[in-house]
Amino acid sequence: MKKIFIIEDEVLIQQSLKKLFERRGFSVDVSASGKTAIDMIMTNDYDRIICDLMLQDISGFDVIEESKKKYSPSDISEKFVIMTAYNSPQVLSRANAYQCRLLNKPFDNIEEALSLMTES
Amino acid sequence: MENRPHPSDKTAPQHLTLFLDESILHDLGDYSLSPLELAPMENAQFALLKKKDRLWMSTPDGENCDFPYYLKNIFRLLEDFKSYGNGRGESHEIFDHYTKTSQQLEKKIFSSGAHEPGKSNKDLWDEIIKKINAVSNESVSLGGMLEKLLDVPFLQNFQSSLVVLHLKGQTKAAVIGTLWRSEKVNSLIEVRDFNVLFNSIKKAKIKSFHTENFPKINIPFNGSFLANDVISKKYSLIAIASRHDFLDYSDDEIDLFQTCIDLLQPHFERLIDQEFSDKRISELRLCLKDFPLPLRVRDSVSGTSFMNDLYRSELQEQDIFFNKKIQGPFSLDLYDSDELRHYAFDLFHFQRISLLGELLNTLRHELSNPLFGLKLSSQIYTTLDVNQDSIDIMIEIEKNVNRCQVIIENFSNLYQVENESKPIAIRKLIDEAIVLSKSESREVKKTIDYTSDTENLSLTVPLIFVVQIIFNLIVNASQAMKGIRGSIISFKVSRKENELRIEISDNGPGIHQDKKSQLFKPFFTTKTQGTGLGLVLSRNLALKMGGNLEYLDNNGEEGAHFRLTLPIL
Repeated sequence: MKKIFIIEDEVLIQQSLKKLFERRGFSVDVSASGKTAIDMIMTNDYDRIICDLMLQDISGFDVIEESKKKYSPSDISEKFVIMTAYNSPQVLSRANAYQCRLLNKPFDNIEEALSLMTES
Repeated sequence: MENRPHPSDKTAPQHLTLFLDESILHDLGDYSLSPLELAPMENAQFALLKKKDRLWMSTPDGENCDFPYYLKNIFRLLEDFKSYGNGRGESHEIFDHYTKTSQQLEKKIFSSGAHEPGKSNKDLWDEIIKKINAVSNESVSLGGMLEKLLDVPFLQNFQSSLVVLHLKGQTKAAVIGTLWRSEKVNSLIEVRDFNVLFNSIKKAKIKSFHTENFPKINIPFNGSFLANDVISKKYSLIAIASRHDFLDYSDDEIDLFQTCIDLLQPHFERLIDQEFSDKRISELRLCLKDFPLPLRVRDSVSGTSFMNDLYRSELQEQDIFFNKKIQGPFSLDLYDSDELRHYAFDLFHFQRISLLGELLNTLRHELSNPLFGLKLSSQIYTTLDVNQDSIDIMIEIEKNVNRCQVIIENFSNLYQVENESKPIAIRKLIDEAIVLSKSESREVKKTIDYTSDTENLSLTVPLIFVVQIIFNLIVNASQAMKGIRGSIISFKVSRKENELRIEISDNGPGIHQDKKSQLFKPFFTTKTQGTGLGLVLSRNLALKMGGNLEYLDNNGEEGAHFRLTLPIL
């Protein structure tokens, strides 16, 4: 696994995660905007896409929906990690529908969170 | 007024000269005596005196007679004097006439069924007066007075005694009284019917009527009747008496009835006031029953007190001070409206909590992301290859972020909308209250002692309730100990059977002996900015959980000492 894409509009979180992954030897792309992120997903091949749900322009779920054009459902469940501070029942059931990983913010334990995001 | 000497010769004055005593003059009011002239008693052709309930008429020659005194009588007499107008001989005629008719009059009236053998007319009149006074003084209701009125001698063969009462501003008039000597009447008629009846009676010269004259008005009997109108500031009324037959009433009966009503007028006033106020009280009760605040009202006339359901369920145990007086036909003691506002606080407290809870939830979510960013980045920078000073600052930033997260977490827990009970570690309860009260109790040391059986105990209680009680007690203690060196709040947590006891004591000035009894009373406070509700609410919350909050005597030691007990389920 080489390439990680972080979609997160909170710059401090985005940059911190970028640094943490880079230190672990990953190459990291970032985007604060959902629309830009979709373009980047279409043009690049990422091994993992870490996506915040509450973005400024569109939601993380919109990004995943657009990605369906490129990826199969099994690709999506493998590649995407959803990050959210709002783990309401609706969010949970939708995330489960994609069968992808879900991570609550703030992370209780950063190391565990990083492992969950990077393991295959 | 001009007093002229009494001429003793034949060239008599054109008009009669009279002496009227003060009491009669008073009764006459604005009545114009012209062309009659007033004179001192010894000079007057006639002297009229009111003695008790009789009118005495005398001449300088020493002739005199007396008859029942009532206003109608004196007016009629004066009108007669006016029409005679001159001559000593003629005035004698008047005198003779009156002596004769007054005797006939009494005889006629009192022979109409009420006369008891062996009694003189004068005695009978005295009896009427006595009876009317008794009736009016004994009566506690208008209906009762009307019923008793039928026992008055000249009314003893009457069947009904009624009043039609119209209170100013009402759309109906009430018919109250007794029919057939025993049947109670209490019905309503339209105010326009009342007005027709009232005006006809008022205008009539002879106050004897017949129900046939008022075919459209629902008078509850048929036949002739006596009636009189009474008007006052608050009401107008028609007094009615009837034998339920079709015979006309004599002038004397008409006069007597008028006199009775004159005599009863102040009592009508009194009883109507009373009933009016009773009605107002019962209407007030209806309104207050559903008043959305705990409320107790005391009628200071009768001393009865009324409390609404909220009061009964929430505050009955407490003594409330009444300091608002409303004066009127009846007087009420109410809470001061400022205090009502405090109660509003109590009542809307939970509404505000739920609103605050929502706001805090939003706030927590909005703050959690930026705080998380701060935390992550500060963590990363502590592991980067930078100098130690920067690392220390990063560590400090991370600590502060953690504190912010704890505080906001605690607040949103405290103000959760639902008060549902979840198992909570006692340690956590007390720690949370201490964290929340930190700004108020910064300089105060806190010690917490747990017994071995409470150390790791969890309670199933609404978190918010317990934290609020402990929070209140910490804040109270801290404020009392402000500026005192070495101030300590100590918690002792122990268990007695199925009861958890949290004792909270301080080493401050304590609570003065004579204030102890008032501690849990609403609005009692020793603070200048206090509401006097903190301890009341705290105790109520404890009671709601099946526990209690008490003040313990400190065994002569200094400081205040409270005990919160909670059930262990």
